[in-house]
Amino acid sequence: MAARSDVELLEDLLAIEQRLVSAYEGALRREAIDVGLGEMLRDHEREHAGAIERALAGAGQRNPRALVPEAKLTAALRSRTSFARFAVHLEDEAVAAYARTAAEIRNPRLRQPLGSIMACEAAHGVALRNALGEPVLID
Amino acid sequence: MAPSITRREALGGAAAALVLASCGGGDAPPPGGGAKPGSGAALLGSLLALEHAVVAAYAACEEVVGGGVLRNMRAIADQERRHVARLQALIRELGGDPPSGRSAEEYARTFPRLREPGDALAFAEDLEQRQVRAYLEALTELPDLKLRQAAADIGADEGRHLAAVRALQGLPPAQGPFVTGAL
Repeated sequence: MAARSDVELLEDLLAIEQRLVSAYEGALRREAIDVGLGEMLRDHEREHAGAIERALAGAGQRNPRALVPEAKLTAALRSRTSFARFAVHLEDEAVAAYARTAAEIRNPRLRQPLGSIMACEAAHGVALRNALGEPVLID
Repeated sequence: MAPSITRREALGGAAAALVLASCGGGDAPPPGGGAKPGSGAALLGSLLALEHAVVAAYAACEEVVGGGVLRNMRAIADQERRHVARLQALIRELGGDPPSGRSAEEYARTFPRLREPGDALAFAEDLEQRQVRAYLEALTELPDLKLRQAAADIGADEGRHLAAVRALQGLPPAQGPFVTGAL
């Protein structure tokens, strides 16, 4: 398979961020997450999305759409526990995507900042597991 | 008025001294062996030296903590040991000779005095912060995709460790949207 361009890689990350923003917005509307935690996570994801949009500006940006199947989010919003587990899964996927992209992207100046977002998403997973009362580290 | 320094800052400063000493200030130059210049082996050797020091630091921290903090620190230390093994393997693949760590006694001389769990957690937080930064900076420098993937994977682990030691102190696991710098 041909290597993907930097723009394509960043568009994928933007779609992931949009999915996370939608998830936290939905959880806050439905009171499926603690307000303080939910607002912090949502705000961080908005900052990430904004940063990636700026990186994409002027580089042939398309308009990625959120990838989350609506039915899965709707089902997850039934309780705080189910939403937290759903969000842990989304955050773990985001960490994996950022790790791949930070290594693959051709522009070396983008690697460290993408890694910085990756570390934040990793911290989100810990925060959500902590909220679930689970061990903060999954080994 | 004389400048004051908090206990937390003092512990962080000691950690900084440890890191500097471990990454070249006092050790022999990182691996050289038969690795080609520019292969990334030297940078991996610096990361490995830091990992060795961090494993020793967690052993020191474990002496003053108990309960859930101890269980988490042991889990973190286990992951750090796996990082050591992964870095050693990568350096050998590049034809290099992985640097060995110092003795426990030598490391202990560079550590701050840890009297209570709060001291250990503040020390651990500082070390994890430095590890996250080191791995993310390595992403810019490492020449090979496979090596960058390893640095990113380990950097993600260190991000989890940093968040965990913050949570164990009752702090928000995520400090802000960008852990080491924004796009």
